[in-house]
Amino acid sequence: MSDSAFSFLGRTLRRRSFLRVAGATVASSALVLAGCDSNDDTETPAPTTASLTFSNDNFGLLNYVYLLEQLEAAFYQKVVSSFPSDFTAADRAAFTDLRDHEVIHRETLKYALGSNAYDANAGTNGMVFDFSSFALTSRTGVYTAARTLEDVGVAAYNGVAKLLQVVTDGSHLTYLKLLVKLASVEARHAAFVRDQLQASSFADTDIVTAAGDLAGLDTVKTPVEVTALIAKYVPVTIVATSLPTT
Amino acid sequence: MNLFQIITELEKVDPEIADRLTHRRSALSALGSFGKKAALAAAPIAIGSAFNKAVGQNTLTAVNDVLNYALLLERLEYAFYDQALRAPALAANLTSGSAARGAIETIRTHELAHVNLLTAALGSAAAAAPTFDFGTTAFSNYASFLTFAQAFEDTGVRAYKGQAGNIPRTLNPTVGGTQVNLLTVALQIHSVEARHAAHIRYMRRGAAAGAQTTIMPWIVGAEANMAPAAVYGAGVPAANFPAENNLVQAGITLTTGIGATYTEADVSAAFDEPLDNTTVTNIARSVAKF
Repeated sequence: MSDSAFSFLGRTLRRRSFLRVAGATVASSALVLAGCDSNDDTETPAPTTASLTFSNDNFGLLNYVYLLEQLEAAFYQKVVSSFPSDFTAADRAAFTDLRDHEVIHRETLKYALGSNAYDANAGTNGMVFDFSSFALTSRTGVYTAARTLEDVGVAAYNGVAKLLQVVTDGSHLTYLKLLVKLASVEARHAAFVRDQLQASSFADTDIVTAAGDLAGLDTVKTPVEVTALIAKYVPVTIVATSLPTT
Repeated sequence: MNLFQIITELEKVDPEIADRLTHRRSALSALGSFGKKAALAAAPIAIGSAFNKAVGQNTLTAVNDVLNYALLLERLEYAFYDQALRAPALAANLTSGSAARGAIETIRTHELAHVNLLTAALGSAAAAAPTFDFGTTAFSNYASFLTFAQAFEDTGVRAYKGQAGNIPRTLNPTVGGTQVNLLTVALQIHSVEARHAAHIRYMRRGAAAGAQTTIMPWIVGAEANMAPAAVYGAGVPAANFPAENNLVQAGITLTTGIGATYTEADVSAAFDEPLDNTTVTNIARSVAKF
């Protein structure tokens, strides 16, 4: 993995700043970052032990969604900063829109999470994602990558709603209502990039169940399933097993 | 059949249903936005107890109310596409084997599946199926048909979104032979409707479809693109069901409030807005008799 992929840990989360993040997140119960052993007094913690653990509450779930939006925003930003040569003007305009939507989603969730965001103390050095597994030098490659990320996003939103734990202040409903506003826009994105890649594939049978009791339903995935799918893009080990499962 | 008729029917067997629905709605309204966080902090016990009471009153009957409302919308959509696929004036554009016909058939198949699933979930509580009359305009030409389709799909997305908070997360009925989570199923339908909406909107770009060449798969501002303006307008109350050109999310105006400056077009398009059932039903009745 490239050096830049680890800047989140190597540069941003030097031991001292790591402790600040950990302290803040423990206090807020948002999430736990683990990875430094007791002898870790260097500026480069061993990356293989780095992990991002989402907590067993609604802040953990929101941080999980926030990570997905960060991933999508970073992907579109990367494409927009260097369009493939066979991208048309319409492609460029659409991807600029997609980038802007995902950045707005990311920033909205970051604002909603406030000090509970897992990277609240990371300043401008946020997570640096690794898109080297995508072929981003052609229109087909870019749309294929976008289709993968958008379909995963839709499935993730569909899976996260019922996991929001009922809390007495009613904030779970506030979160639910916010997340569903983003969810359908992700589905619009997914339909668009699918159609651009393959005409009329907006709701093909690989994502919308064709037959049986669940016919007509979109894909749904649990956080554990989603984080396994996006692990290759994320420079730390994501631990989603602590999140609510029912 | 509409929601008020459903409530009237329910009142015959449950005289307190209207009160319970009213209380439940006001409690949910009070929790409608991040902007009210301060108020919640100031009066956690009062709001909290109102909310608990509301949850306690969210009986299976009320959930069936939501499901029958969804069933009505799905039946309407299925009937709309089914009639379109048989409409003489559309035959030249929906030719056998064409991409356009394929897409509309796919969508019709999904709407029928949604009808079947909701009917199965409701069991004996499923409302009787009405017949739908879309008048003379809807199927008079291809552009008109797609304009109606966009209106129904975008309204459908808003309708499901408007009910998300009314479906308890813990209801897991068996549909056919499969146990499902009702909230999850509702959102799985919701995202399929959004995929439909995106595709229909893009179909309108075609020359034969009216050459709406600037229309996007997502909703920019409250631009109706010749569909009824109410589809993209505010619901009741507007504070809980803002118009699609809403720029405030999580209690902050996103165009200027979160560090960078974003355009109104991008901010509005990045979020779809919920709509209340009364407004949705009024929209449906403005374009179809049932």
